[in-house]
Amino acid sequence: MSTNNLIELHQVTKRFPVGDGEFTALSDINLSFSKGEFAGLIGPSGSGKTTLLNLIGALDDSTEGEIKINGKNIANNSDEASALLRNEHIGFIFQSYNLLPVYTIYENVEFPLILQKIPKEDRKIMVLQALEWVGLKDIANKKPSQISGGQAQRVAIARSIVKKPEIILADEPTANLDSENAYKIMDILKNLNEELGITFLFSSHDSKVIKYLKRVISLEDGKIINDEVK
Amino acid sequence: MIQDLLLNFKLAYKNIISAGLRTWLTITTLAFAFLLILFFNSLYTGWEYQGVKDQIDWEFADGQIIYKEFDKNDPFTIESGHHQMIKNENIAPVLIRQGNLYPQGRMLPIAIKGIPANQSIVKLPTHLFHESKEEFPVIIGEAMATNNHLKKGDKILLRWKDKNGTFDAKQITIVGIFHTNVPTIDMGQIWMDIDLLWKMTGLEKEASYHIVKGNYNHELKSQWRFESQQDLLKDFISMVEMKKGSSAFLYIILMFIALIAIFDSQVFSVFKRQKEIGTYIALGFTKKRVTLLLTIEGAMYAILATIIGSLISIPLISWLGVEGVTLSSKEQSQQMGITIGEKLYPMLTSKLLFSSIFWIILLSTIVSYLPVRKIAKMNTVDALKGKK
Repeated sequence: MSTNNLIELHQVTKRFPVGDGEFTALSDINLSFSKGEFAGLIGPSGSGKTTLLNLIGALDDSTEGEIKINGKNIANNSDEASALLRNEHIGFIFQSYNLLPVYTIYENVEFPLILQKIPKEDRKIMVLQALEWVGLKDIANKKPSQISGGQAQRVAIARSIVKKPEIILADEPTANLDSENAYKIMDILKNLNEELGITFLFSSHDSKVIKYLKRVISLEDGKIINDEVK
Repeated sequence: MIQDLLLNFKLAYKNIISAGLRTWLTITTLAFAFLLILFFNSLYTGWEYQGVKDQIDWEFADGQIIYKEFDKNDPFTIESGHHQMIKNENIAPVLIRQGNLYPQGRMLPIAIKGIPANQSIVKLPTHLFHESKEEFPVIIGEAMATNNHLKKGDKILLRWKDKNGTFDAKQITIVGIFHTNVPTIDMGQIWMDIDLLWKMTGLEKEASYHIVKGNYNHELKSQWRFESQQDLLKDFISMVEMKKGSSAFLYIILMFIALIAIFDSQVFSVFKRQKEIGTYIALGFTKKRVTLLLTIEGAMYAILATIIGSLISIPLISWLGVEGVTLSSKEQSQQMGITIGEKLYPMLTSKLLFSSIFWIILLSTIVSYLPVRKIAKMNTVDALKGKK
C-alpha cells in the first residue's frame, strides 16, 4: 500500500454477533483511497458497504485488520480520539439527513464549527459560504421541519463541508430523494469534489449516484468483487 | 473544558426549551415544589425566630437559675420547690405558689407568680405594680383574660396557702393585661410583686427560680442549677424541627412527581432521540459528552425551575414576611402551650434558599443521569438509524 494514501484498509474484517453465532459483514478487505477521489461502494443490501463506511468513519470498530487515515491507524482509537477524528477530518451525509431538529438550518451547519471552537465571526463567514455552495442561504433561519427532503439533504451537505474535511462519507445520500433532487445533490457534491479537493466516498446502489462516480468498488457478501476506475 | 461545558449548557437549554409543553409541565411542577419547600420552611424558620425571640424577651432572658427541687413541668414540686434567693443585681427572682381565683363565682386553680416590680430583665410590665394604688395589684396575660372573661380593673377573690399551710384570701385587682405570644407566662397564672407574695405567704426572700440577665457568673451552691438560654429553648426548637419534618410530606410528594417527570423525559430522550444522539456522535461528540449533555438537560429542568421558583417565591415570601400569615388556630395553639403569634412572619434565609436549590438540582441531576447512562453502551450506527 502506498503511504501517500488518505485512507488505507488492510485485511479488515467485521463480524457481528447474531444469536449464539456470528455474521461476517466484511471479510479481509484491502482498499486504499487517495486525496480527492470520488469513489463509491456499490452492492446489494447486506453486502457490507455501509458497514465499511462506518468503519472508515470511526463510527464502529473493526473486528480485525487495520484502518489508517492519513497514515494513522484508527482501529484502537479511544472514544475521544475517534470523536476528534470525526469532528476534524470526516464529514457525514446520511440517507435520512440526520439534522438536529431543534436547531435552525444555520445552527445545524454551524454545529461542527462550534465543536472546533472556531470564533463566532469566522463561523458566520464559513456557514454562509457553505449554505451558498448548496444554494440555501435564503432559508438559513428555518427549522429542519420546515424544509423539503431535498433541501434537508443539501443542509446535511453544507454541514459536512463547512469544516472543509478531508473526507466526506455519504451513505445512500439520494435514497430518499426524487430524481431531480438526486441529480441536484450529485451535481453539488461533484462540484465540491472538484473545487475543494475533498475525498468523497459513497455507499449506494442508486444508478444516478453510480453515474457520477470516478471509481466504483463492488461488494458482495462482505467481499470486494470489483474495483473499477472510470 | 469550561468552554465545552458552557456549550453543553447552551445546547441543553436549547433542547429542553424546544421540547415545548412537556418541558414547561415538568418545570412548573418542580417550581411549585420548590416554592412550597421555601414557603413552609421559611414559615417554620420565621416561627422559630419569632418564638425564640419572644421566649427570650418574655420568659428566659439569658438563662434561669432554678431550685433543684423545682420542676416547671411538675406542679407537685411547686409547694416545696423554693429556696432562699440569690442576691445579684443581674438576676430577678421568681416565686411560684398555687392558689385559686374565684371569678364570677367560679373556682379557677392558678399559679401565683411573684417577680420584682422593678425588674427590666423580661418584658412583663411589672412597673404596673408600683404605679397602681390598689392593695393587691396583679397583671395577667391576654389569653388568661380572654379565656376566663377577665378584664383590667376586675377585683377577684384570691385564695392561697401560706408557708404554714394556712389558707388565706384577699381581693386582688387586675391592673394590667399584657399581650404576649408565650403561653407559659400567660395561661392559668397571675403575676404580682414578689415583695407582696413574700408577705402573703411568709416565704421571705424565697424563690423558685431566677431569671438571669447577661453573662451571669454562675458559681452556684448545690441547691441551684443553671439552665442556659439554649437549654431552655431546646424543647421549643425541637418541636419546630419536628413540625418541619412532618410538613415535609407534601413537598416530598411534589418533588417525587417532578423527579418522576424528569426521569420520564430522560427515558423518552434515550429511546426517542437515538438518531439525534447518533448525530451528535457523528459530528464529534464522545458518548461521555452526549451522556453529560442529556444529564445537563435533566438538571436544566431543575435550574430553570429554581430560577422561576426563586423569582416568584423570594418577593412573595419577603412580602409575607412583612405582612405576616394569619393563623386561624391561635387559641388552640395557646391551649397546647405552643409559643406562636397571631401571625407568622416567614423568614427566607439565604441558607434555606441555597440549600433548597442545591438539593433540588442535585436530586434532579442524579435522576437525569440514571436513564442516560445507557448511552455509553449504545451502538452508534444503530443510534444514527434511530433503531430502538
